[in-house]
Parts: sequence; C-alpha cells; structure tokens
Amino acid sequence: MNSGGANVRRPALARPTARLEWLRFDQVVMAAAVICLVILVVLPLCSLFIGSIRTPDGLSFAFFREAASGRLYRQALINSLILGAWTGLFSVLIGVPLAWAISRTNVPAKPFIRVTATLSYLSPPFLTAIAFVNLFSPNAGVINHLMREEFGVTWLTFNIFSMKGLVLVTVLHTFPFVYLLAVTALQSVDASYEEAAEILGAGKWRTAFSITAPLVAPAILSGTLIAFVNSIALFGSQAIIGLPGRIFTLSTRIYSLFDYPPQYGLASALSLVFIFITVAALFIQRRFLARRSFVTFGGKGSRPQLIDLGSARWGLFGFAVLVFVVAILLPYASLIAVSLSKSWGLAFWKNLTLANYKFVLFDYDVTQRAIINSLILATLAATLSIALGTVIGWIDLRTSVPGRRLLDYAALIPLGLPGIVMAVALIQFWLAMPIALYGTLVILLLAYTGRYVPLGLRAANSSLRQIDPTLEESARILGASWGVTMREVTLPLIRPGLFAGWLLIFVPAIQELSASILLFSSKSITLAVAVYNLYETGYTEPVAALAIINVIIISLAILLANRLGGERERERLEYRPA
Amino acid sequence: MAGVTLSGVSKTYSQAGLPAINDLNLEIRDGQFVTLLGPSGCGKTTTLRLIAGYMAPDAGTIHVGERLVSSKDTLILPEHRGMGMVFQNYAVWPHKTVFQNVVFGLKLRKVPASKAREGVEQALALVGLSGYENRLPNELSGGQQQRVALARSIVVEPEILLLDEPLSNLDAKLREHMRSELKQLQRRIGITFIYVTHDQAEALALSDQIAVIHEGCLQQFGPPREVYNRPVNRTVADFMGNVNLLEGKVLSSDGRKGEILIAGRLRTVAALPAGIQAGAAIDVALRPENIELKRLENASAASGTVVDHTFLGNISEYQVALDNQRLRVQTHPSANIALGDAVEISFAPDTMSVFAHTDPAR
Repeated sequence: MNSGGANVRRPALARPTARLEWLRFDQVVMAAAVICLVILVVLPLCSLFIGSIRTPDGLSFAFFREAASGRLYRQALINSLILGAWTGLFSVLIGVPLAWAISRTNVPAKPFIRVTATLSYLSPPFLTAIAFVNLFSPNAGVINHLMREEFGVTWLTFNIFSMKGLVLVTVLHTFPFVYLLAVTALQSVDASYEEAAEILGAGKWRTAFSITAPLVAPAILSGTLIAFVNSIALFGSQAIIGLPGRIFTLSTRIYSLFDYPPQYGLASALSLVFIFITVAALFIQRRFLARRSFVTFGGKGSRPQLIDLGSARWGLFGFAVLVFVVAILLPYASLIAVSLSKSWGLAFWKNLTLANYKFVLFDYDVTQRAIINSLILATLAATLSIALGTVIGWIDLRTSVPGRRLLDYAALIPLGLPGIVMAVALIQFWLAMPIALYGTLVILLLAYTGRYVPLGLRAANSSLRQIDPTLEESARILGASWGVTMREVTLPLIRPGLFAGWLLIFVPAIQELSASILLFSSKSITLAVAVYNLYETGYTEPVAALAIINVIIISLAILLANRLGGERERERLEYRPA
Repeated sequence: MAGVTLSGVSKTYSQAGLPAINDLNLEIRDGQFVTLLGPSGCGKTTTLRLIAGYMAPDAGTIHVGERLVSSKDTLILPEHRGMGMVFQNYAVWPHKTVFQNVVFGLKLRKVPASKAREGVEQALALVGLSGYENRLPNELSGGQQQRVALARSIVVEPEILLLDEPLSNLDAKLREHMRSELKQLQRRIGITFIYVTHDQAEALALSDQIAVIHEGCLQQFGPPREVYNRPVNRTVADFMGNVNLLEGKVLSSDGRKGEILIAGRLRTVAALPAGIQAGAAIDVALRPENIELKRLENASAASGTVVDHTFLGNISEYQVALDNQRLRVQTHPSANIALGDAVEISFAPDTMSVFAHTDPAR
C-alpha cells in the first residue's frame, strides 16, 4: 500500500501467535472478584447454615425446634414482625403525602421537604433513639417531666420504652425509602396518561385516584417492603428502646445469645429465620419493582401539571414541618442541649459547660481510636465494595461467561442479611479458620464490605448500562488491552456514578452498629459502638457530646467527599450518545 | 497487506437457537471495498464482529492473509488484529478531545509525540476536520463525530477497516456527501474496507464487491453490476432495489435457453437457470426502468392496462395490470400515456432474470 508518501508506516502491534491466551489480566481480575465474593458472602453463609444444624448429638434441626418452641424466641419473632408492619404502614402514611406534595402539588418550600427526607435518611437511627430517650423516658424524660410536673397533664406523657416508641423512632429513619421510590415513580409517570383521563372528563382528584395512584402503587409497595426489611434489621434503636421496655426482637435476641456462654448454634438458627423473613420480603419487593417498568418509559419530558391545593397546601406544609421537628429538630436540638449541660433536666440551661466534650474527646480514651477506626473502615469498605461491584457488574453486562447471573445474585444476597446476622455468619466462619481474625479490624472490614457489595454493584451496574459497549470495543480494536481500556475509557466514564455510590456506602458504613456490635474488640472499636457502650454505662451527657461529635464527623466527611467529587463532576462532561 | 478469508463460519447465539451466521464462505481480497448487504437481523453485523474478534465462531475459520485469527478454539483478541473499526453510533469517547481520541491508537503503538501529532493532523486533514483538535465530541455534529471516528481508525493505518453502518445515523444530504468521501478515502489509502449496510443504494455506489446476506446465509457475492443485473435468486433480486417479480412458466427449453410465458401474456425467449425443464413454473425478475411502454389504440392479447400513474419529477411511474398481476414501470416523464390506456410492454430479454419458482410466503 502507498498512502501518499507523507504517511510513514507506523510500528505494528505485538502479534501473539494464534492460541487462546489462558492467563490474561482481565481473567485474573475477574477470578479475584469471584473469589472475594465467595469469601465475603457465600462461605460465611454456608457456615451459618452448617452451624445451625450441627448439634452436640450430630446433625439435626434441634436448634430450629428450640427457636420455634421457645417462648422467648417466638416472642422476638412476633415483635420483629409487629415492628416491621407498623413501621411499613407509617412509612407510607408519611412518605406518600410528602412525595405527592413534592411532585404533584404547589406546596410551598419544596427544597425544605426534600432536605427533611434526606436528613431523616442520613441521621443515624441509634442517635435519634438516644435523643428520644432523653426526652421521653418515663421518669427522667424532659418532656414527660414537663407535662407531668409543670403542667400536670399526665395524659400527654409518652413512654418511649414501648412498641409505640420503637415504631416512632424507626419510622423517622425508614419513611424516606417510601418517599424516594414514590417521588421517582410519580415523576416518571408520563403526564399524558393523566391528560388523557382529564380530556375524557375526569377531574384532577378523580385522575389522581384512578390513574396516577394505580400506576405508582407498585413503587409504593416496593418502598414499604424495603422500609419493613430495614426496620427489623436496625439493631441500635431496638436495643436502646426495646431492651429497657423488655421488648425483645430478633436482632436483640440474637445479640443476647452471645452473652457468656455464647450459644452459636441457636444464634445461627435464629439468624436463618431472620434471613428467611427479609429474603421473602425482598423477593416480593422485586416482583413489584418488575411490574413497575411500564411507568418509567414515558414520553419526552412532558411535565405533569401541578395541582393547585389552595389554602390546603399550608396544611401539607405544616405536616412537613411537623416531620422535620420530630425527625430532626427535636432530636438534634435536645442532643446539643444535653451535651452542653452539666446535668440534664428542665433547668439544664442554668449550667452550660463544654466539659462533656472535653471528657469524651480527651479523657475517654476510646473515642479517638473509635473515630480513626471508623474513618479507616468506612473509607476502605466503600472503596472495596465499589471495586468489587464494578468488576462483577462488568462481568454481568459485558461478558458471556456462563454463570454470570448467579454471580449477580450472590452479590445481592447481603441485601437480605441484617447486620447482626452477617456478624454471626462471619464469626461462625472465621472461628473455624486457622487465621485469628476475630476482634481485629479486618473482620469488621470483611463485614462492612460484604454488607455493602450490593450497593457497589448497583452503582456500577447503572453506570455501566449508560455507556455503550462500542466505546470499549473501539479502544480494543485500536490495540488497547482490557486493562488499558478500563483505565482510559470505562473508568473515566463511570467515575461520577461510582463516586455517588461510594458516598452512599461511606455514610452508612461510618455509623454501622448492627454488625460491629458483635465483632468489635477494645482495639477495633468503632464510633457507633463507642456511643452505644457509653450509653449502656449510663453517661447521659457525655453520650450526647459523643453523638454530636459523631454527627459532625459524618457531615464533614460528606462535605469533603462532595467537594472532592464536585471538582471531578465539573471536569466531567455529559456523555451524549450519538 | 491482507485479505480476509472466512471458511465455513457459523455462529449461534445461545438464547435464540437460530444461527445468526450459517456456514459462511467469503474471500475478501486485499485492497477491496467489500460491502456486506442485507436486511436488519440477517447476520451481517455478526459477521463483522466475528472478523473484528469480539467473539469467536462456533465453527469455521477466519484468516487474515495467511494468519489464522478466529476458530472455535482460537481467538486473537481484537487488540492484536491490526484492524480499525467505525461504529454505527460513532463511539467517539465523550471524555476525550478530538485530538485525544485520534491520538489514542498512536500512543498505544508508542509513536513519538511529534510524529503522533503529525499523524493526527494528517488524519484530521484527510477527513476535513483540521482545526478541531481541541473540541470535545459534544461540541460536534453527528457528521463531524463520524469523521473523528474515521480519523481515529485510519491514523493507525490498519490493514483492514471495518465499518458498521457508519452513515445510517446521518441525514440524507450528509450521508450522500460522506458516501463519496468514503469512496475517495478508500481509493487514496488503498486498504481493505469491509462495510456493513442495509442500504442497497449505498452498497451499489461504494463497493467493489457486494456480499448479499439473508437469514445468516450468503446469497451472492460479486461486483455491484452483477448483483444488480444478474441476481442469482429471487431474494437477491427482491432486495436489490425496485423489481417486478412475475410468475410464469417455461414453454420449451433446450437446457440453456427457452421460450417462456410471463403472467399468462408476455411471450419471450430467455436464458434459463440449469435444470429447468419445459412446463416448469418460474419467477421472472424485471426492473421497472428496463421496461418500455407503447400506447395502443386497441387492446391485444399481449397488452396491459395502465391502472395508476405517479409523476415523480425526473421519471414517471406506471402501474400496469396484466390479468391479476401488476407491473411497475418507470419511464421518461415525457411519455404520453394516460390512466386506462392499453399499452404494449417490451423489454430487452437480457435485462430479465429467471428463477425456479419459489412460494414467496414459504
């Protein structure tokens, strides 16, 4: 060939001989990811199962029989279900009106409502629980005290150590699940569906109930089930509110089985019962989500008309303010107040002090270690979960490896594993191993990474779906290996999505309590465990100070991460597919 | 330099079970512009992706020159094939500038920076994008992005350039413009182009050779004129532009030629495909532009009736009824024929193709 003199023949690429290259970088990376997933999730789950049927008299279902017949365990199961059901119901009652207000009405101060939902989701539930104890514990609770002693209205007092109290505290954390799914669904319902009904003579309200509501119902049910699963998995609030009220749940019952002497077999059996409930709920939820698909692909940006609520909009706004006050203002204002007072009570403002902060930061030697541990753990766990999720997502979407769907499912298993169950499984597995991981930071890291792999996979999956495979293929044919293609094309393009996912893991990881509570040692103590332990020992005021420090750290971390991510965001340019 | 040889290549996607490509044999010679033509889903893109090495065939082999690149057990990865590929959706990397896009392949080949810059400038000049080096893809039009993709592929001087419907996302005017540019480019750099399209006009305009593929099987492989004028079967005739497919039967045959009766009316002598005996049912393919009409005062046994007329500017199109069959005819617009006229139909016998009859419904 002669390409016109000016073109000089370029150096050719290395040409391997014709054979299947059996040891390639991409295959090594993928194999490593599969092995990680097996170690993190599959093997611990297997040992949990084995542990539940291996009794002193050989293999049997004795532990399951005990879990089913023991009054204590049956009661715990029933309590968990009651808690989940009420929480699910109230999540709908709070989440749906707010979602509807945001996306379909002219309610004022929409940003405020959005922020309320986001903060409620981010706020660590065990801190809300502690705050409510300070306000509503039967005798010392400040609001109860105020009502009873100062105003003499006993009927306005509220005992937080009850199922009602537990539902209240839990709902404040779970209603955003329903809210978020409902908002997404409402926004994706094409306005033309509604306009079509209106043109046929249906009024606004009639349309809302007969067209819009059925279209978004699957999303709302789906959100309700997620709220259900999350509510029964929360260890912190169930321990803080439930234990003093003698309301045992599955989480707290499993926890108490680790009091000396630990009953591993029974804990494993109970864990499997727990898994059965969450997996069943999530299975139904996936069914609903699958049905939702007809909503999502609407026309081109035809925006729904907003319903003019007239003066009723102030009622809806008032409701949002109420949610904000109960979920955010009351707990955090009271925590700040407690943290600054010498002795918490009605007259706390007479003796303000910073001594509590000084105590927890400098005299209580656990705090600094816990902060460092939590920061390390959350950073590493978020990074590892995202990395693992990316490789697994890539295998699923870009290869034809047999069994890749199975891999996908394996990575989603932890969604159905409450934190405390994950901890039980890891203890079972690693106690049987020759490596002594129990009580180290490593086992906590394994627990966190395993727990959050589904979030990593979800982030990677949705990002990868948005970039066309030909963008990678065109790099390959130009001579780029798999590794170079990942570095030069794929990762830069999915980075924003991965970063958002990273943050979504980091935030819950830094306040993780449910799994940490069984896995920590004095060396590997984490922030949430430090708060819980201090609370257990009865230091009301220092606990509040530590809680506030906890919140400040979370906020700073989010702020910092957002700033770092924001800079990258600005570098990145919208990918506009041709 | 290298040609591509496909021998007995088959590929089945596991889900469907139907083969996407079935026993495909194709010899693409060095330096040619070869088009894989067929309707969507016929397996032409699968063929291209097999040549590129994005997947391995289930059976058969693919050689580039003398070198085996694909078989059931052998797969040279795309990055080791020294090919280029231009995709239907351009696949220009949105996070890289035009320069970064084009220079990518040169960097992988460790071309020194100054040489690389020179190469990029030449490639961009070749596609008419000089001065666009620092633009980002989202600042470019579709046609410009497509040219970036082209420059990115040719700058590394591949031996073979694969093009997967590269013009189908462009508007009609731009498509025509790019079509002639592509042809000129291929002449200038002289490498093998393997081009996939479903647009027969594009294939006819661009190719040295056209491979017509239908339902995973190669139907015909030959130069554009041959494929257009001498389709080997009804499928090819039907796919290559407007055609009248009429039923007829053989009246007499000497093995190579014979007298035939078309649509029960038109009697003519035609070359017959091998193995067709007197009395056999046949299909006759006749291009509308090869038919002439003459107005008759009185209808005869061999005449037809004009039942529809469309004026298209540069041509006039008529529908002529012959018993229960219709004939489409294109003439010069000056022809003085009106609706309802009886017309005499004539055509040169060598513009007609005869096939053994196949039931179109199958």
